Amino acid sequence: MRLITLAIAGAMLFALTASTAGGQEPNYSRKGADSCLACHENETVLALFRGAHANPTDPDGPFGHGQLQCEACHGPSGDHAGRVRRGQERPAPAAIFGSDSVTPIDEQNGLCLNCHSKDTGFGWHGNEHDTNDLSCADCHRSHAAADPVLATATQPDICFDCHQQKRTQTLKPYAHPIRQGKMDCSSCHSTHGATSEWQLAQQTLNDTCFDCHAEKRGPYLWEHAPVAEDCGNCHDPHGSNYPGMLAMRGPMLCQTCHAQSGHPSLPADGDGLPSGAPSRFMLGQNCMNCHTQSHGSNHPSGSRLMR
Amino acid sequence: MRRNNKIVSITIAAALLIPAAALAQVDTSEWKCEFCPFADGYRAEVDAGVGYVSEDALRFGNGTGMDEKGAELELGGDGRYLKNGTEISWHAEDLGLDSRALSVSAGKPGKFGFSLGYRELPYRLFDSTATVFSSSAADALSLPATWTTAGTTAGFTALSSSLTAQNIEKDRQIFEFGARYLPTRKVRLYADYSRQQRDGVSIMSGSSFTQGALLPRPIDDYTDRVDAGARFALGSFDMTLAYYGSFYRNQLGSLTWDNPFTTVPGAGQGRLALEPDNDFQQFSLSGVYRANFWNTVFAFSVATGRGEQDADLLPYTINTLLPTSPLPLTSLDAKVDTNNYALTFTSRPHKRASIKLSYRFDERDNQTPVSVWSRVITDTFLSGDAEANVPYSFERSRLNLSASYRLFDTVKVSAGYDRTDLDRDFQEVAEQTEDTGWGKVRWRPTANIEAIFKGGTSRREIDSYDTDIGLSFGQNPLMRKFYLAYRYREFAEVSLSASLSERPISIGMTYLYADDSYSQSELGITESTEDRFTADFSWAVSENSSVYLTAGSESIDSIQLGSETFIGPMWEATHDDDFTHYGGGFRIAGTGDKFDLTFDYTHSDGETEIEFAGPVVSATPLPALESTMDSLRLSLNYKISERFDASIGIRYERFETADWALEGVQPDTIPAVLTMGASPYDYDVWVAGIGFRYRMGADTEL
Repeated sequence: MRLITLAIAGAMLFALTASTAGGQEPNYSRKGADSCLACHENETVLALFRGAHANPTDPDGPFGHGQLQCEACHGPSGDHAGRVRRGQERPAPAAIFGSDSVTPIDEQNGLCLNCHSKDTGFGWHGNEHDTNDLSCADCHRSHAAADPVLATATQPDICFDCHQQKRTQTLKPYAHPIRQGKMDCSSCHSTHGATSEWQLAQQTLNDTCFDCHAEKRGPYLWEHAPVAEDCGNCHDPHGSNYPGMLAMRGPMLCQTCHAQSGHPSLPADGDGLPSGAPSRFMLGQNCMNCHTQSHGSNHPSGSRLMR
Repeated sequence: MRRNNKIVSITIAAALLIPAAALAQVDTSEWKCEFCPFADGYRAEVDAGVGYVSEDALRFGNGTGMDEKGAELELGGDGRYLKNGTEISWHAEDLGLDSRALSVSAGKPGKFGFSLGYRELPYRLFDSTATVFSSSAADALSLPATWTTAGTTAGFTALSSSLTAQNIEKDRQIFEFGARYLPTRKVRLYADYSRQQRDGVSIMSGSSFTQGALLPRPIDDYTDRVDAGARFALGSFDMTLAYYGSFYRNQLGSLTWDNPFTTVPGAGQGRLALEPDNDFQQFSLSGVYRANFWNTVFAFSVATGRGEQDADLLPYTINTLLPTSPLPLTSLDAKVDTNNYALTFTSRPHKRASIKLSYRFDERDNQTPVSVWSRVITDTFLSGDAEANVPYSFERSRLNLSASYRLFDTVKVSAGYDRTDLDRDFQEVAEQTEDTGWGKVRWRPTANIEAIFKGGTSRREIDSYDTDIGLSFGQNPLMRKFYLAYRYREFAEVSLSASLSERPISIGMTYLYADDSYSQSELGITESTEDRFTADFSWAVSENSSVYLTAGSESIDSIQLGSETFIGPMWEATHDDDFTHYGGGFRIAGTGDKFDLTFDYTHSDGETEIEFAGPVVSATPLPALESTMDSLRLSLNYKISERFDASIGIRYERFETADWALEGVQPDTIPAVLTMGASPYDYDVWVAGIGFRYRMGADTEL
């Protein structure tokens, strides 16, 4: 009997809580954006009207006809916009964006995805950025006339805020033209998420490399096995101390896999420098002085990658 | 605060639940947006200026297009027209340089749009190179009539009189066209087409048995790329159906050259095959379903593709004196099928706990027909043996399991297990498995301070290493290729970040350590250790000024064993590969936005030392490979009027390398290889420029 009483009391309490939560009407401001702009008339906020978010002719945009203007993103903020008594702290808007906001990140991102799920929503849920509690506002400036993360020249610096070690690598002497502002992280990575490893833009690392370097795709008559499997076996795509973004200096790189007898598998040491007996195995293009087709050959006599 | 959060959550939850139809329930009749300064009409910013480059430095032009001494034109800008729901915008940069870009987009936001773009990307490698070859045809290189062949480069009596400068550089031109159409709020159709066209010269080697000549290989090719699909947002289910096509076309199928060395009769010319035309097409279906319980999300991706290559094959040799058998095929009809499947499941069964499970499968199934081929060694003589081509295939699957639990409000712990299985055909290792376990603690005592500690181990094991595969090529059976070898890895990562709430200062540091042990390898890489460290500092001193500092270092040490005999290691190479950089900058904007001063500086040093030790072979030390770069940019923008800005900019870059593979290597330095004499980099370039910005349109602010 006591248990039944407790159960009924619990159920009533739950119903009461649920009805309170469910019955709470969202309290929107009285005049929409005009309420907001009465106070927030600064350059940062007004830049919004020169960007994509404040286009009154976009029916689905926040400022489209009948849409909720500032509160489309910041949530119902009637309390924030309303009068407050002297000494009373003004309530915050329903949603404030950024990782250090009191608004839970899931909810911030949910507000963005409300409109953008068909653009970016597919890979977001469960991807590395999502599971590491990144908010959309950590990368995007939704008020800016032009969002810096969408421009090739300015995007990498935003990514490097977290991926600092990648900044180091892109500054190496042999790297893709990222520091020159001609290539960005999203050239290779699907930053909103993908099921591929490292959130690559294509299905695999090789597919991603072949997107620009299609000449390496083949399939060749004579393939070089590590190339067909993983470009990262020999190259470091974020940058390297060695020409060609190789992971190690030739001929040592080749010697990590090849130790052919009679082809002397000897150390490429100082004796082979021009001051000694200049070595065809280490100077110039080293192994590729002969085996020039390191990515594969389509020549019937090219099995040794020399044709 | 906790209560406030709950109210906030409830109101946001309500907002999230507002579908389009329910918007009508919010009374917006008084929402006139009278104070909203909507953009209307045409506005643009146009930048024009001139700059002066102080030196010819081809490598400085890599990516920048500023490789020649002298004046250069700086043109660019942005513009936007918006009227009655139609938007047209354009962007231009570096129009006076080989790195120019221009794009135009138009459409009705939320309904449809088009974009058109053109970009150039300069790749600049060497301007210290020279060659004795000249183009006698698009795909043929000839020696001068005065050339005299010899057995070694020392005998090339006509070398110095025959050398002409030859830059190693290429340009990539990219044309892009894209279209978007949104028939409903829930559907987005898209199609993108691009053509990447390359032309220029790179270095290839034309070998003649034990001799070789580095050739100025012409590049003339293009790739057409199509990416199209439809995205559907169906409430809790989103789906994308996509097509990807990439079609590579090489205008040059081969490269023929005159052999500069004295050789056997008939081998006065050699011929290389260049990259064959190829097609790759892929269809994919991907989607995500958000279930109504535990914030559960299922994501999947299915893709299937085929790569094909059926270019006409060259004959075995260009040497007409050699009696060769007919080719088994006139073209290869090569095919590679790819299949990629992925499934990801994430869920938060408790407000403090989340779990993630993902599985991925990638397959490369090489369907290329296998034939037996006779080989002519470098157009010089018959090899006498027959060999079959090897269609490498593999299947790779990855399983990842991870769970996170918020132990306290400030501490979140995570742990995971990853397993990778790899099955290969025709390689030394047929089956390979890697198991990884990791743990992570994230401590966030306040919203502004965060520390992350992560560590774990992984073990890669192989079923067996088939040494017979390499034996026919003379491969040492003790060699264990690093990507096929047993490996034990330990790794750890620390990340600290803090931002001060009372002052806009943020500090971040990361440290990564990884140690790989290939303890079952007798030859090859046996050990590798990585240390990476970074530090960042930024301070928004005021609304108009900020300063930042960055630094980073990376050290990769590895040990490699090699041998000429099948008994055991004869030599050991220790690689010590270091890279460090530091830099900083500031931005100061004057009162009333009259002026804007920015300064950025970066210094970097790279150094690789390779030291040799026994046990059998003693070796002479190598000099270090080095690189040093200083890069500086300064710009001052002054607002003359609402419409006019004037600016001055200064850019400086110094880049020096020391590379023993190039240092002192003249075309005839190596007796058996005629090189192009490329030198290490050493340039020092200043660029100074003056420019103007003009703002046009009703609203001068863009």
